[in-house]
Amino acid sequence: MGVRVTSGRSLLAAMIGVGMAFGAQAASVPDLGPLPPIKVNKAKAELGKRLFFDKRLSGDAGIACGTCHDPKQGWTQNKPLSDGYPGNGHFRNAPTLVNVAHKKVWNHDGRIGTSLNDMTREMITEDYIMNMDMRIMQERVKQDPVYLKMFKDAGYGEPSNGKVRKAIPEYLKSLTSRNAPFDTGKMSGAAKKGLKLFKGKAGCIQCHNGPLVSDGKAHNTGVPENFDVFLNPNNHQAFIAFAMFQGIENYMNLKRDPGFYNVTLDPADVGKFMTPSLRELKYTAPYMHNGMLKTLNDVVAFYNAGGGKDSKKSPLLKPLGLSNSEQKDLVAFLLSLSGDQLTTAKHVWQKPYPAEYAAIKNWKNVRN
Amino acid sequence: MKRVIKFRPVLMAAVAGAMIATGCVAQDAKKGMSGPPPLAPLGPPPIPMDNLQSPAKIGWGKYLFFDPRLGGDASTGCSTCHQPDQGWSWAEDISRGYPGTVHWRSNQTIINSAYYGKLFWAGSVTSLEKQAKSASKGGVAGNGETDIMEARMALIPKYVELNRKAFGTEWPLLFDAYRAISAFERTLVQRDTPLDRYLLGDKSALSEEQIRGKKIFEGKAGCIQCHNGALASDENFYNIGVPGVKRWEEDGLAQITFRFELYAKGSPEEMYRTLKDDPGAYFRGKNKWDMGKFRTPSLRYAVYTAPYMHSGQFDTLEDVVDFYNAGGVAADGRTTSFPETKSPLIKPLGLTDQEKEDLVAFIEAFSGDEITVEKPEMPPYAARFTKAQLQAAQEAK
Ligand code: HEC
Ligand code: HEC
Ligand code: HEC
Ligand code: HEC
Repeated sequence: MGVRVTSGRSLLAAMIGVGMAFGAQAASVPDLGPLPPIKVNKAKAELGKRLFFDKRLSGDAGIACGTCHDPKQGWTQNKPLSDGYPGNGHFRNAPTLVNVAHKKVWNHDGRIGTSLNDMTREMITEDYIMNMDMRIMQERVKQDPVYLKMFKDAGYGEPSNGKVRKAIPEYLKSLTSRNAPFDTGKMSGAAKKGLKLFKGKAGCIQCHNGPLVSDGKAHNTGVPENFDVFLNPNNHQAFIAFAMFQGIENYMNLKRDPGFYNVTLDPADVGKFMTPSLRELKYTAPYMHNGMLKTLNDVVAFYNAGGGKDSKKSPLLKPLGLSNSEQKDLVAFLLSLSGDQLTTAKHVWQKPYPAEYAAIKNWKNVRN
Repeated sequence: MKRVIKFRPVLMAAVAGAMIATGCVAQDAKKGMSGPPPLAPLGPPPIPMDNLQSPAKIGWGKYLFFDPRLGGDASTGCSTCHQPDQGWSWAEDISRGYPGTVHWRSNQTIINSAYYGKLFWAGSVTSLEKQAKSASKGGVAGNGETDIMEARMALIPKYVELNRKAFGTEWPLLFDAYRAISAFERTLVQRDTPLDRYLLGDKSALSEEQIRGKKIFEGKAGCIQCHNGALASDENFYNIGVPGVKRWEEDGLAQITFRFELYAKGSPEEMYRTLKDDPGAYFRGKNKWDMGKFRTPSLRYAVYTAPYMHSGQFDTLEDVVDFYNAGGVAADGRTTSFPETKSPLIKPLGLTDQEKEDLVAFIEAFSGDEITVEKPEMPPYAARFTKAQLQAAQEAK
């Protein structure tokens, strides 16, 4: 898959581009607020939960979604660059999956703007992520009696790869922020001061707005490259494979992550990345698409300095002149957007998986 | 990325129907009056015009054949399954697979594969170049994808250099890697077996026993009808009665692959639901009369390649001969699940114990010394850029 249809690319670009012009007027941006509730089908989500943590969904059965999106590490990995499929590394930080169902565009470069179903397919089939031939996956799932029952109970009938791609997104819908002080109204004094700065002097709200604290658009903030992408051949091979597959020219000589350029092929978009949500940051360090900023203090210091160095940096970023205590308040506010960790059986599949595939009894005489 | 394929039962049925209507001559009926071509010494392998041999290609191909990075998770390359000390094959009933899988057919030797015009048990591809592609990409074989495998080769400086010498391009292409592997495979041939020497005039090259076995092979046992010519294969397709893989009945992992293969090869839905055996050459044209047929394999190098047959159900050449002597039925009574397509050429032979021994001795004359090569040391990856270059690029942003 993934042979990107050109019209798809420009459509997505147009979608993301709309409204970019309004970014400058702080007044016109959607306000922060609680996320709307999402309805989740319990049986389907339960099935999706088991699939999410099942290593048998990857080609060599070595990794699961939950390996790179680890609940104990804020549904990401607490290191700059994500693991890759065994045999290669990766070139970006794994995003948290908490609140991911509230997004409309996914990946740091925003290359998927359709559905979590497509996102799930990309993760399962991409050779440097899970490298799974879905036809084998389907037959693996059908070999496990627990799945046969769960698919049936969920109303899906017989397991198929299409239904795997439905069940996982249903489960992802259940991963949403719980009890963030910002939502419960229990913010500290410092956090309240930070909120004011966020909306005012620091100007963060221009891009981080709405319930998700993201405008869902791409901006160039000048985050420096992570040289490990290029110096470690395991990471670099994943990057080259990605760029080659996406049809980005000159992929052997690229020394930077092209970011949103991948979606538009417009040189003006090189180095732009999607504004991430600022919810659950407490658990998701390090930060930015390539994990280059270790702590929230570093992030705020980065913005206070007017962002990084890039000739195409967003004009919205300028040195802010925040005092030390203002910076601390801002961090306190950011932390107030983090709720409870989702690490219990409610969200994490904790029962063991069978060590081997049981044989189907009376195999010769039952239908496949 | 991988393909996602869905059933199209209706379309499939229509295609299959159309093919049946056009009709086809049964393979067995094609035998000429003059009899099968005689056994002959093996000449040099055919070299395709669009991939001539060169030392540079062969040299790079050898590295690639042994390099597990030419597969999905960098663990499973050609030699992982085609082990030189297991007859350039894999010594289990069905081949090992990509990690997390098992294959569904017995492994085949690389030795002399250069001579076939139809490769794989079911003859599904027509050149080593195409064969290497399906081997490195197939989900239960290499499970690799073009982009990551090309990226890996580009980051191995030795391969960049070897590729430049062999093909003249700046960066290695998978297409050329397959050509290099094929060039290496075309060096893995054996032309100095006892039988070759005998046929070239050295009458002492075969023992008395083997000479008697040759007569039986060409006469009473009728093996020559299919195992003929220099390769001892007519490259035709027959159902000789080989039973399916016993393990399928009790091994969950093998059951997964069995269904996957039926699904991936585009079986009509009802066939996917009900088949319990490998339909073999059926998949070539989806013709019912090809069910359970397989390409006649060469008998060369067979001493080293046990177990035998597409399903690896026979551990020794003695077992094979017993199977033929019984008319295509295994010692435990098992046979093909597709009796309607079984070749009329396979019938009980009435061989005596002595004749069976002679025949086995003769089959051994198709194998010379074991072929081994020194496994090349795998060249390492290297970073493509220096830190200084990256810093300069950062500054220039
Ligand atoms: C090998 C590590 C790895 C595995 C395994 C993995 N992911 Fe990811 N995932 C990532 C990385 C890295 C990204 C960011 C990719 C990018 O921006 O190019 C990502 C992005 C995502 C996103 C988009 C998030 C956003 O906010 O835009 C979703 C959704 C997602 N993954 C879900 C899954 C699911 C579901 C699975 C299992 C089917 C899975 N992932 C398996 C590493 C992984
Ligand atoms: C011009 C739009 C813009 C403005 C203004 C802006 N940001 Fe961002 N922010 C982004 C983008 C885009 C990213 C992602 C950059 C990347 O991944 O390289 C980001 C990333 C972040 C992250 C990292 C999140 C993560 O999960 O890695 C934090 C924290 C953050 N911003 C906080 C702030 C704060 C605090 C302010 C105000 C001082 C601010 N941002 C102002 C666009 C903006
Ligand atoms: C996971 C194990 C595995 C790997 C890896 C593998 N093979 Fe094979 N190979 C097999 C099996 C099993 C067969 C028979 C398959 C069939 O007929 O469906 C086979 C058949 C072949 C044949 C056909 C021989 C004949 O008589 O027709 C050739 C040639 C071959 N492989 C070459 C290669 C090359 C080259 C590579 C590496 C690019 C490779 N194989 C990788 C298992 C493997
Ligand atoms: C009708 C054609 C035909 C005749 C006659 C025939 N064979 Fe075969 N032979 C085949 C085919 C086809 C296969 C592969 C069958 C399969 O795997 O299902 C085979 C496989 C073999 C194998 C296994 C080779 C391997 O690499 O696994 C041996 C050994 C063999 N035959 C020997 C003989 C001997 C000895 C005779 C005579 C007694 C004989 N064959 C007669 C067609 C024939």
